Amino acid sequence: MVGCVVADAHDGIVVEAVVRQGVNSNTVAALAASLYGGAVQSARAAGMGEVGFLRLEAERGHVFAIGWGDLVLVVIADVSVNVGQLRVDMLKSRESLA
Amino acid sequence: MSDQIRHLSDELARDPSSLVFLQLGETLRTSGQLDVALRVSLRGLERHAYSAEAHDLLARICADRGELQRALDEWDMVLRLDPGHYGARKGMGFVLYKQGRFSESEQYLREAAASGEGDASISHALASVERMLRPEVQQPQPESAAPSRNDARRLFADILADGDQTALLIDSSGLVLAGAYISAEGHEVAEEIGAALSGVREEAERAMRHLPLGAWTSISFEAEAATVAMAPVANGALVMVAADPAMPQGFVRRVLESCAARSRSWLTGAA
Repeated sequence: MVGCVVADAHDGIVVEAVVRQGVNSNTVAALAASLYGGAVQSARAAGMGEVGFLRLEAERGHVFAIGWGDLVLVVIADVSVNVGQLRVDMLKSRESLA
Repeated sequence: MSDQIRHLSDELARDPSSLVFLQLGETLRTSGQLDVALRVSLRGLERHAYSAEAHDLLARICADRGELQRALDEWDMVLRLDPGHYGARKGMGFVLYKQGRFSESEQYLREAAASGEGDASISHALASVERMLRPEVQQPQPESAAPSRNDARRLFADILADGDQTALLIDSSGLVLAGAYISAEGHEVAEEIGAALSGVREEAERAMRHLPLGAWTSISFEAEAATVAMAPVANGALVMVAADPAMPQGFVRRVLESCAARSRSWLTGAA
C-alpha cells in the first residue's frame, strides 16, 4: 500500500491521509478526486446513474476510489495488491464511514 | 424537475391510493433517481397489483438499473394483464436484443410495430435485429475493401455473444469508430455514450502525468446501471465495455481484454 487519502470529492482537499514517505497526499487527493469526479459526471451524462467503486490500473500501480456523500476515499497501491480484497475492504469502509 | 417531483410527491402523500405514483415514478426514472423510483413503484404496486401500467413502470426502472431479467418478468406480467400493451412488447424487444436473443426480440418488435404507433425507435431496432439475424443479406464487400459500417457496428458481436454487455471503440476525439450501444428504450446512443465516457480518459491522463505510476492501462468503475471498463488501444483510441452490474468484475475485465485485442487488429487492418 502506498497511501490512503480521504478527500473532499468536489475540490480534492485532504480530510485525512496516511501515505508512504515521499508521496504528496495533496497531489494524490486532488488528482484522484478529479478522476473520480470525471467518472461520476461521465456516468451521469451517459445515464448510468451514480458511481461506486473506481479502479485505475497503471504500469506501476493502481488508483482506487470510492465516494460517499461529499467525500471520496482514495487508495494508491502497488501492482502486487490483491485487488479483490482491497475492493471489499473499501466497500466495507464506506459503509462504516457513511 | 425537482419542483415537479415535489408536487407529485405531495399529491401522493395526500392520497396514497392515487395512481399519481405512475407519473412520479416515471419522472424519477427519467431524472436518473432509480432507487427512489423503484421504491415508489413497489409501494404503488402494493395497492395496484393488477395495474398493467404499474408493472410497466417497474419494468422500465429495472431495465434502467440493468436488471434485465426482472424487467422481462415484469413486462411478461403486463402482457398477461393487458395482452395488447404496446410498451411491454417494445420493452421486451429491446431487452431481448440487449441479451443477444435476436429472434425473440424481432418477434416482439414486429408485434409492437404492427400496433401502428409509428415509433421510429422500433424501426431502427428492427433494422439492427435484421442485421444481426441475417448478415448475409447485407451488401457483400470485397476482402480488400475498407471496413463497412456494419462490420464496424458488429466488431465485438461474437465477443459479447452472451448479451448484457456492449462495447465501443472510440477515437481520440470521442467519436465512435466501432461497436453499438442500444439504450433500454431502444435508441442507438453510441455517440452520446462515447462522448460522455471519453472525458474519463482525459482525467486519467492528467492524473498519470503527476503520479509516479507510469501510463494507465485500464479504468473501470461500477455505476448503478452498468459496470464500465475502458482501455487505451492505439493512436489515442479507447475501447469501452459496459456490462450488467451483476456481472463479475473479473469477467468484465476479460471481455475488455478481448475487445482491446480485437480493436488493435481491426485498427491495424483498417489503417
